[in-house]
Amino acid sequence: MILLKINTWSELLVGAAIGILVVFAALTILVLMFEMVQAILLSSTKRRLLKSGKKKEEIVDVAAYEIVAISMALHLYMNDTHDQESNVMTIKRIERRYSPWSSKIYGLNNTIRK
Amino acid sequence: MKDLKYKIGFLLLILAVFAPISLWAQNGSDEVSLVSNSLMKFWNNTSFANFNFKYLIMIFIGIIFIYLGIAKNWEPLLLVPIGFGILVGNVPFTEGYKIGIYETGSVMNILYSGVISGWYPPLIFLGIGSMTDFSTLIANPKLMLLGAAAQLGIFATFIGAYALGFTPEQCGAIGIIGGADGPTAIFLSSRLAPELMGAIAVAAYSYMALVPVIQPPIMKLLTTNKERVIRMKPPRQVTKFEKIAFPVIGLLLTTFISPSAMPLLGMLFFGNLLKESGVTERLAETARFALINTITILLGLTVGASTQADKFLTLNSMLIFGLGAASFVVASGVGVLFAKLMNLFLKEGNKINPLIGSAGVSAVPDAARVSQEVGLHYDKTNHLLMHAMAPNVAGVIGSAVAAGILLSMLS
Repeated sequence: MILLKINTWSELLVGAAIGILVVFAALTILVLMFEMVQAILLSSTKRRLLKSGKKKEEIVDVAAYEIVAISMALHLYMNDTHDQESNVMTIKRIERRYSPWSSKIYGLNNTIRK
Repeated sequence: MKDLKYKIGFLLLILAVFAPISLWAQNGSDEVSLVSNSLMKFWNNTSFANFNFKYLIMIFIGIIFIYLGIAKNWEPLLLVPIGFGILVGNVPFTEGYKIGIYETGSVMNILYSGVISGWYPPLIFLGIGSMTDFSTLIANPKLMLLGAAAQLGIFATFIGAYALGFTPEQCGAIGIIGGADGPTAIFLSSRLAPELMGAIAVAAYSYMALVPVIQPPIMKLLTTNKERVIRMKPPRQVTKFEKIAFPVIGLLLTTFISPSAMPLLGMLFFGNLLKESGVTERLAETARFALINTITILLGLTVGASTQADKFLTLNSMLIFGLGAASFVVASGVGVLFAKLMNLFLKEGNKINPLIGSAGVSAVPDAARVSQEVGLHYDKTNHLLMHAMAPNVAGVIGSAVAAGILLSMLS
């Protein structure tokens, strides 16, 4: 499927112009689509919140970095709490039965004791 | 001293064995000529006998790549495999023994088939998709236009290459270097100009590694001090629905416009859906680690090995390197200028810091990191990384669309 046969300078320039226009068109449509999705989502969320009894002035958009800061603070707080809680130490005694396996007494290079 | 005695003794022993053999060989009996012929044959098959200074130049370039990757930490995941590949591809050999990358049936040739037939790049895109977070792009969709503007570099180089005498197909393959996207460059050149693929791939990856060197002067040249400290509004929180809808809508819209980009965009958006769906974490994990790492190793090594000196060191390769540099400069500059143009139409408070415009070339995430570093240089508290990621990932989509257009126009 050849869209354009390029043999001359003018055909080449037309080709380049079409190319850049198509790239812009594809991304512009994507931009418009997501601006629309964004608007629909925001208005539907607002409507839902208003229905649930919230006042219009109470609905504010929280920035992502604020959410990250709150999450981080909560995470640090939870970790701290955990550290204070676990201060009980348990010492477990493990009995080992005697085994001659790899015992040095049975080594081949026992030196003669004088 | 004791060691030296042994070394001398060993040398004398070798002489004692080989001197009679060589004397015997010179006397010329049948058995002797058989030995000398075998030795000569062996010698002719060694790299020393096939040596040419072109290979030495390429080996030197390979060592520089490895050095830059390890010592300077410039895109080491690309430069180290490509650099080593250059060494592998430039060991001189006698043809006909299925050794070289261009000899059908050799191991290197089989590994190279992924590059030639163009199935490595879509798999890399699958991995990129499963790693990429499109949140900032979804939160501020207009930044996508910066990714489109930076693709102007591709078409400027396309025109420039034609002026230098390349065929239209070769121009398309060379132009895509301006997209700053290695896999896309390989994908397109394998279809349009396989004979130039080695040079195009090495140029694309080299300039991607050189993004921190090439871009800052252009960014500083095209912006004022006041513009460099513009603070952008923090992006809003993006819902899970939007994140899941993005790959589906993105795929349908972009591939309906440019179906030839489907292998790249299809894999990119599929990888992203695996990541965002939340129910295919195992698949996303494989795509972002095991799969992309395996393909990067094979791609890097074989692209490096494809730079065999006798096929690579040509005038065309030099021209491609020059055009590649020019296209990078144009792409970065146009991105910055387009951000300034957008600012003319945006209200105060919604303005874009033009430093993120250069991130529209798709070298992810290096170009975004450069915007962040240059921005921090002028204001220690102005973090641009998050905002720069939007044009950066839009650049990936834009360059894939541009590759699709060039493919459908020229193949």
